[in-house]
Amino acid sequence: MDTVTGASSLVRALEDAGCEVIFGIPGGAILPAYDPLLDSVKIRHVLVRHEQGAGHAASGYAQATGRVGVCVATSGPGATNLVTPLADAHMDSVPIVAITGQVNRSMIGTDAFQEADIRSISLPITKHAFQVTDPADIPAVIAEAFALAAGGRPGPVLVDIPKDVLAATTTYTPAQPVALPRVTPSAGEIRRAAQLIASSRRPVFYVGGGVVRAGAAAQLRTLAERTGIPVVTTLMARGAFPDSHRQHLGMPGMHGTVPAVAALQQSDLLIALGTRFDDRVTGVLELFAPGAAVIHADIDPAEISKNRKADVPIVGDCRDVLDSLNAAVRQSPELTSWWAYLDGLRERFPLGYDWPADGKLAPQHVIARIGQLVGPEAIYTAGVGQHQMWAAQFVGYERPGSFINSGGLGTMGFAVPAAMGAQCGVPDRAVWAIDGDGCFQMTNQELVTCALEGIPIKVAVINNGNLGMVRQWQNLFYRGRYSNTGLSTHERVPDFVALAQALGCVGLRCTEKSEVDDVIIRAMEVRDRPVVIDFVVGEDAQVWPMVAAGTGNDEIMTVRGIKPLFDEDL
Amino acid sequence: MTRHVLSMVLRNAPGALARVVVLFSSRGVEVESLSLDPTERGDVSRMDVVVGLPAGRSPDQLVKQLSRLVDVQSVVAVADPARNQIGA
Repeated sequence: MDTVTGASSLVRALEDAGCEVIFGIPGGAILPAYDPLLDSVKIRHVLVRHEQGAGHAASGYAQATGRVGVCVATSGPGATNLVTPLADAHMDSVPIVAITGQVNRSMIGTDAFQEADIRSISLPITKHAFQVTDPADIPAVIAEAFALAAGGRPGPVLVDIPKDVLAATTTYTPAQPVALPRVTPSAGEIRRAAQLIASSRRPVFYVGGGVVRAGAAAQLRTLAERTGIPVVTTLMARGAFPDSHRQHLGMPGMHGTVPAVAALQQSDLLIALGTRFDDRVTGVLELFAPGAAVIHADIDPAEISKNRKADVPIVGDCRDVLDSLNAAVRQSPELTSWWAYLDGLRERFPLGYDWPADGKLAPQHVIARIGQLVGPEAIYTAGVGQHQMWAAQFVGYERPGSFINSGGLGTMGFAVPAAMGAQCGVPDRAVWAIDGDGCFQMTNQELVTCALEGIPIKVAVINNGNLGMVRQWQNLFYRGRYSNTGLSTHERVPDFVALAQALGCVGLRCTEKSEVDDVIIRAMEVRDRPVVIDFVVGEDAQVWPMVAAGTGNDEIMTVRGIKPLFDEDL
Repeated sequence: MTRHVLSMVLRNAPGALARVVVLFSSRGVEVESLSLDPTERGDVSRMDVVVGLPAGRSPDQLVKQLSRLVDVQSVVAVADPARNQIGA
């Protein structure tokens, strides 16, 4: 038991919790914590340029490493700038701990300078939020915050600490390890699931991000190969099952592949693992997989039967569930005609694209070439919009955690700071942010951080001159009236190459198909600085296939107006 | 709209009540009445709430969502079929 300040206690508690990197910005209320941080040899502090960048970086770090990500901000505006990353991590079940300074205890509730009630603000977007009022509690609160963030269904936890609590003299008592209960999957439900699997004729593994969070990719592969059942991986699960595997049908949902969407729609048994029947996957819920029985395994009981009633509900960590299923499933179903149907779709409706009529680059080609040249050992991040969907469709993912994006909240600007965080956690892997020109303009300030801290991420700006996904909807549903979606980035305002250089990065531009491979290879050769590539692509490229919002999955269009599952008797 | 009675044991922690009430508001749950009383144990309180749920929403889902809150030690939906239909 040592006599220390609250701030020193905080830094030691973070070290004891295994924290090795913090993304943050100092300010008035958090100032005391930054003094002992200077002396820590275990924790690296990465000075970001905006608190939102700190939060998404913590998320990128957590998703790349499987460990808890940590971000720090001061009170008031510092704390409120963390709201978007907290909400993002909450939706995508990412374990992060956010530490915020707060005004002195005696000033709380007086509308003091830089006071914001961040604990209340964060109520619906965190797993839990603490406000520390006794400096002696700091070690226990930090230990509990880490355990809560990582335990059960992972998520963000906030720890708000008043300045005078950080400045006070206290004692440091190492926290007792916090043990959260681990639910064992019900043996009866596992038995019922195994029976349903054995007797099914058109089963499909509907795999979500929970499989990635649980580290259950190997167990999934074992069960999939033993049973021969087809697999679809959602946006959050890309990489949980190798794209090169012949049982993999791709991503389901609004921009899913025809075989993946058809597999769910025509299925007689959905084996849903760590997934939440999100509206982007199901389309109109009443029309989703109408003939399927549902086995639904999730660590969060509140997700089971939330949107679709489960016939076999299994509460548990996906790794435990898959281990149990691997032990229980003894008989594989007869799938010859099911595979004949799915293989036929795969042959007739592969993912494809047209080259733009204006002679510009096809964005899908650019992204596919990045995936092929950089390879599956890299980590890819994406923002939100068309480029994100193309990154999900046209990069081949072979490893869980190799694709990091904002799935649930759909946070534009996620790619650059998330790549920064991922690269800090996994310095030996190449990290590529596939970004849009709209997204890039929201968070590119973190490239300064990357340049100064030696974080050599690559950013491929898929520059179509527009808020592309919004423009696509305006094209399809608003008679081509393009209200406020043009960004002038094709007129080089801003000039992304010059901007990259101003931010301390290498800036490259690519406008011709013949240059694509060369520019990617040139970027790969730069190891001492971040690289930004401005890929000037056609503005009319659209994301296909598409299930329009408000329609059922059977109405999936391979291109505008062509609905293969709806129009044809397959 | 269907009416349900929930009985909870809540940790006496700062923000605990707010967390429960915010969950009701963000999940579209109407609160008809709410009472919070101390227990013989000093560290927890008992909370009884009468809520209205939109048609088709089950109280089980709400119970599971409330169970996720760190400050909620237990929660049950008390069967009360006699007054299950609001306005009946």
